[in-house]
Amino acid sequence: MRPSFLLTSALALTLGTATLADTPTPQSVLQTYATIGEANFQDSLITAKALQAAVGALITTPSAETLQAAKDAWLRARNPYQQTEVFRFANPIVDDWEGKVNAWPLDEGLIDYVDSAYGLSDENDYAALNVVATPVFTLSGTEVDAIDITPELLQNTLHEADGIDSNVATGYHAIEFLLWGQDLNGHDAGAGNRPWIDFAKGDACTNGNCDRRAAYLKAATDLLVSDLEYMVAQWAEGGEARANVLADETAGLSAILTGMGSLSYGELAGERMRLGLMLNDPEEEHDCFSDNTHNSHYYDGMGIQNVYLGRYTRIDGSLVEGPALTDLVAADNAALDAEMTAKLASTMAALEALKEAGDTGFAYDQMLERGNVRGEALIMGGVNGLIDQTKSIERVIIALGLDQTQIEGSDSLDDPSAVFQ
Amino acid sequence: MLRSLIAALMLCLPVAATAETADPVEAVITGLILPGFERLEARSAGLDAAAQADCNPEAPALRSAYNAAFDAWVQVSHLRFGPTEENDRAFSLAYWPDRKGFTPKVLSQLLKAQDPAIHDPESFAHLSIAGRGFYGMEFLLYDTRFRDPPEYACALIRASAHDIALTTAAIAKDWHSDYAHKVLHPGTENSPYQTQEEVVQELYKAFTTGLQFTLETRLGRPLGTFDRPRPNRAEAWRSGRSLHNIALSLSSLHENALLLSTGHPKMGVQLDAGFDAADEALSRIKDPIFADLSDPSAWLRADVLRQSIDLIRDQQSANLGGELGVAAGFNALDGD
Repeated sequence: MRPSFLLTSALALTLGTATLADTPTPQSVLQTYATIGEANFQDSLITAKALQAAVGALITTPSAETLQAAKDAWLRARNPYQQTEVFRFANPIVDDWEGKVNAWPLDEGLIDYVDSAYGLSDENDYAALNVVATPVFTLSGTEVDAIDITPELLQNTLHEADGIDSNVATGYHAIEFLLWGQDLNGHDAGAGNRPWIDFAKGDACTNGNCDRRAAYLKAATDLLVSDLEYMVAQWAEGGEARANVLADETAGLSAILTGMGSLSYGELAGERMRLGLMLNDPEEEHDCFSDNTHNSHYYDGMGIQNVYLGRYTRIDGSLVEGPALTDLVAADNAALDAEMTAKLASTMAALEALKEAGDTGFAYDQMLERGNVRGEALIMGGVNGLIDQTKSIERVIIALGLDQTQIEGSDSLDDPSAVFQ
Repeated sequence: MLRSLIAALMLCLPVAATAETADPVEAVITGLILPGFERLEARSAGLDAAAQADCNPEAPALRSAYNAAFDAWVQVSHLRFGPTEENDRAFSLAYWPDRKGFTPKVLSQLLKAQDPAIHDPESFAHLSIAGRGFYGMEFLLYDTRFRDPPEYACALIRASAHDIALTTAAIAKDWHSDYAHKVLHPGTENSPYQTQEEVVQELYKAFTTGLQFTLETRLGRPLGTFDRPRPNRAEAWRSGRSLHNIALSLSSLHENALLLSTGHPKMGVQLDAGFDAADEALSRIKDPIFADLSDPSAWLRADVLRQSIDLIRDQQSANLGGELGVAAGFNALDGD
């Protein structure tokens, strides 16, 4: 289950030029980081295009098989994307864009039908709007024509409608909801169970408006592909995300570590993992419709390790590798590099245990149930590893002399959402 | 009542600030942390006693004890490290903001099912954090939709008050029994801190995170935008505490910053200027729960407070970090 071990021979072939023995320059570390970013977003795009094709087949020929194929394609598309999350939190090109593709949590009743017991939020007047069933509606006092469901409608009108974050109309989780439907199993095993005939043509259609549901799914998937195309271009030679990283060595190195620390601590350990456990709510899991949360956390953790070690395994099995932070830290403070590397590995071991449990039938929503000791231990194993590694990330920031730049205009302080207080 | 509480709090300030030590870490621990968690423990015990004596949600003694304990919590609410983070203690005292309505959902489920888990402190401690602590109890005391069946609602109030008392006592005990020692002696075997710099960073981070939370969450959530204020997102509006909590937290953060600037007298003057401006802006806000924000002049008055706290972050807080030689590091508010 450790692809990086299996692929060490491929590594030697593809990147024999890397001079691992020498201390790398900061510039070469940043180059590796940007190159991993480009490859990782490319993989996200490739798998999103496969999802787009599978969604096309589902819409043209609705069946249990084509729905399953689209779900499988979505699951495959998640793995590379989750690894890109570490590129967030310090690069405005990524941060200004990320909410379009991976916003969460969502009030899914905005998009399509939900169970009658669906809890309505005090804060969101549109939590049960159901665009699929409602071609014309009033939004913040303005009449909206949603007769044609287009990417523009989703992106410009529906997404974050009324200024509310949980009005998520686009991205992976909107698509996930349309493919799986609500997970009504509570704390029992089982994902959402949308019947394929929700996409059937003519009289076979269940739950109404199958054509509009299909149009929404197509628009959301097309938008995901075009959004990822944009992001790949930003990481290519001459792209702005790459330029941001390479412009200034101190700021660039600081950005790598800010992404690692912010994702480890506030985002993953906090909002996505520990909070859900403390709330004991089966909907408080990141990929709640598909029950894919264990994989989503695992690949997030892997992304953090990737950028520190400077190694990314592509979806075709090839390896992208080069000089990395680990070399830079080791040259100056071998003990600290050993500490950082060991903590990343121990987090990955914990996340792997979580992934294996999930893969072998212990669903994440079962783990969240009150009093589920084994589930709590699995999730807290990951949380503790992530919190622990954050301390070492802070030590690395200090060791590399990057701490003084953080005081002024730290991005990690500028884009918050309160969960912990 | 609110004004007098604030005034009483202000009187405490000079005493703490003159603690005779040149070490900012010792100053913060003896001047703020230890007395703050002692106060929280004592007042939470008072809340527990009041609830056991009379669980009527309208009872003045119970509500007064509740508000006194909540005050004590707000004053230490930014000190989120070490003992508060063990066993999800602070999370269970304070789950807010509640964007998806988990608190009313959990409480309704408990009341509807008459869940027996509340009858034993151990099983109560495993309930969702959204139903526990000061924010959950606010629904039980101030929102009439959470009073049926009355006997169960009474038992729930008592169980929740007792849970708060146990949790706050555990935090105070840990601070006294060994965590203060660990913070004062970095690099020793049981300390989670390797160096003095890491300790100072921890304390500085608690301060900056608290300031950020008060600015962006306590104040920023109800303020929203000029065109779309969101008064229903104000903190603890049911009990009328929204503005009061901002005042309490600013006071405590002011005190914290002064203690941290021990040995940097010029910083103290700067910090006083920044926080005094914020206090002045706060004193002009009329509605204690921001219900008047759709009135443009009310919104602008609240926005002046926002700007003044923002200025503290930009100027005094950043300068304090520079003086102490530490960065803010990563905090729980990082993320999307």
